[in-house]
Amino acid sequence: MKMKKTNALIFGYNEYGFEIAKNILDEYNNVTIFKLDEVDINLNKQIDIKIENFDLSDDWNSLINEYDLEDSIVFCSLEDVAKNIFLTISLRSAFKDLFIVALTDNNESANKLRMAGASKVIPIVETTAHMITDMLKKPIITKVLHDILYEDSDLKIEQVKILNAKFFNGKYPADIEWSRDHGVLVVAVTHEDGSSEFIYSTKTKHHLIKNGDIFIVVGYEADIKEFEKLVGVKNEN
Amino acid sequence: MNFFIRLLVDFAYYLNSSVGYQRKRRLFYNILENDDYKYKKYFDVFMMILIFSSVSILIYEVKRDAHDYFQVFNNYIISLIFFIEYILRLWISSSVSKTIINQNEYSDLLGRKFNLAYVIKRVISDKLNYILSVKAIIDLLAIMPFFHELRLLRIFILFRVFKLFRYAKSFQTFSTVLATKKFEFFTLSMFAAIVIFVASVLVYVMEANNPNSPIDTLYEAFYWSIVTISTVGYGDVVAVSPEGQFVAVVVILSGISVLAFTTSLFVSAFTEKLEDIKESKVIQDISKMQRIYIICGYEEIAKEVAKKLIRADFNILVLDDSLERIEMAKKDGFMALQYNPGSVDSYKKLHIDMTTQVKAILCLREDDVENVYAALTIRSINKDIYILSLLMNRSNKNKLLHSGVNEILYDKEFVGLIAKEYIGQPVAFEAIHTLRSEHSTVKMDEILVTERIANSITYVKDLDNISYRIVLLGIHKRSSGRFYFNPINDTILEVGDYLLVIGNHMFIKEYIKYLSKKVRA
Repeated sequence: MKMKKTNALIFGYNEYGFEIAKNILDEYNNVTIFKLDEVDINLNKQIDIKIENFDLSDDWNSLINEYDLEDSIVFCSLEDVAKNIFLTISLRSAFKDLFIVALTDNNESANKLRMAGASKVIPIVETTAHMITDMLKKPIITKVLHDILYEDSDLKIEQVKILNAKFFNGKYPADIEWSRDHGVLVVAVTHEDGSSEFIYSTKTKHHLIKNGDIFIVVGYEADIKEFEKLVGVKNEN
Repeated sequence: MNFFIRLLVDFAYYLNSSVGYQRKRRLFYNILENDDYKYKKYFDVFMMILIFSSVSILIYEVKRDAHDYFQVFNNYIISLIFFIEYILRLWISSSVSKTIINQNEYSDLLGRKFNLAYVIKRVISDKLNYILSVKAIIDLLAIMPFFHELRLLRIFILFRVFKLFRYAKSFQTFSTVLATKKFEFFTLSMFAAIVIFVASVLVYVMEANNPNSPIDTLYEAFYWSIVTISTVGYGDVVAVSPEGQFVAVVVILSGISVLAFTTSLFVSAFTEKLEDIKESKVIQDISKMQRIYIICGYEEIAKEVAKKLIRADFNILVLDDSLERIEMAKKDGFMALQYNPGSVDSYKKLHIDMTTQVKAILCLREDDVENVYAALTIRSINKDIYILSLLMNRSNKNKLLHSGVNEILYDKEFVGLIAKEYIGQPVAFEAIHTLRSEHSTVKMDEILVTERIANSITYVKDLDNISYRIVLLGIHKRSSGRFYFNPINDTILEVGDYLLVIGNHMFIKEYIKYLSKKVRA
């Protein structure tokens, strides 16, 4: 499924919705927050986002008329878990191919959301707790990864799709000294079936580099660009 | 006289300011009375061994002749040790020098003459208070076997068993719990005593002149009353006259009620004190721990964090002022106390050194006001301790920072960042997420460069991580506090640096072993 869309539709007029909107504003032409029956709260007004009302009836005509849903990503972030699940199931039954990211408090409702048809579920409590324990257990690596993943650091993590497998001349990923030869580190390889394997795993060790493989690469932006030129393109799918 | 008083006061001040004297006094106080003193338990165990040896010798001697060495050990050595202990306890029970100094300062303040008589009276009264306490009397009786020539005094060896109350914490807890029902037990004892007395006299009057009755003396009547009221009823001494049997019925009925009442008193005393007992047990356990993580508040996120930390073998303590949440934490298997995280007293009651024993405090209430309050309280006690707090509303971030929190986690912002990363790099995000998940066999880890590692490996090029199928992501240099991604081969390793690696967790373990074992060629 293509992830880079034109519209981001966020259902949930709350702090979660606004934080998502704020962070993805630059990635989409149109970001809209949909308000159900939430009361006006003192949210971050520094960003200018379109706000519309919606209800939980199955009437999605206005949505269809206004947005190209094929080219939209939806975030379900209602604070009421039951309503969030209901919204997810309504959207999924109406739009089979819609990419839905849903937020939830706990693992129990995460399963329900997956069953309701959410493409990706972010369990808030679990994720936050995981972050806190990581900060205590491995503070340095957590900080480094946080900077790489979420902050404007020079270091980036990118997924690079191999289009020029000939370049590797029939080598296995583990046999290449990535840092010496290319200034980047390949940490994982995603195969055509979508499964990700660590670069030194037994499976990857016996996997010849082919066109279509996606490499998860960590490195400085310039080095990654050079690497992309040699082997393929930055994969945005 | 004035000269003598001056000498006495000077001597008192000298003792009070003498480092050596005070150090010795404190040492004996710690060994004898301070439960938090780490060496006290060794002393307690030693004394318990002496008590059991003493009683064992007594039992052995009943049918056999014990060797002279045992006699000497039991009658002299153990008694002498107990005597020394008694004197030391008497010494530390109250401070004579402080009493003299207090009286002197009091007299100076009011411009009165130093009252020596009052001081003597006060000192005697303080010491007598100790001497007449139950524990001190038992201690004294336990020394009696020293005078073994008096055959009867040998039986005082058994009083040494009572000394166990001093050394075993559980006995102390037992007596403390029962002490809470002192009044009820006293009332019950009075009732039983009156019944026994009246029944003894009555049955004596009715049975003593009956030739068929085995009750001839008041002592036999008393023995019969005790055996009957306790509902034991041996049957060796019984009332035979109808009047005596009527008294027996009354005594039996009273006995049942006395027993039932006694049982219920025990049960209620323990039920009421059960939480206190559990609380002191938690405090006792916590006080012995190192690297403690205190979690303030037990709501959804705190629950998850506690579970994850316990799985990683961290020592955690949950504090929350809500009984419901604390009960939940206990049910989930965590050490938890219903203490208010925003109260200084809560941390004092823990009897722990916040600087050395506590690794971090996590303010995880899903309420900024409570977290700010708890953080401020903790910071007021300790300036250096690491505090991590949840932030629920962005507008309160500055307040949390001002309250002294080291790290803030704002879950809404975090979710926004995750959403951004996920839509930008879904495959990379999932791959990293998988690598970071608890269930993955591949781990991201940080390896501390110890002195041993630094001595054997100087440069990054010598790390040999690829042989262990490990990706070296970079080095965090202690000297600069910066992370160096993909460091060049000539980067020097220094003690305190961290290697950030990715690999199979088994290989990482092996690799750490290899680094620590490697000897410079």
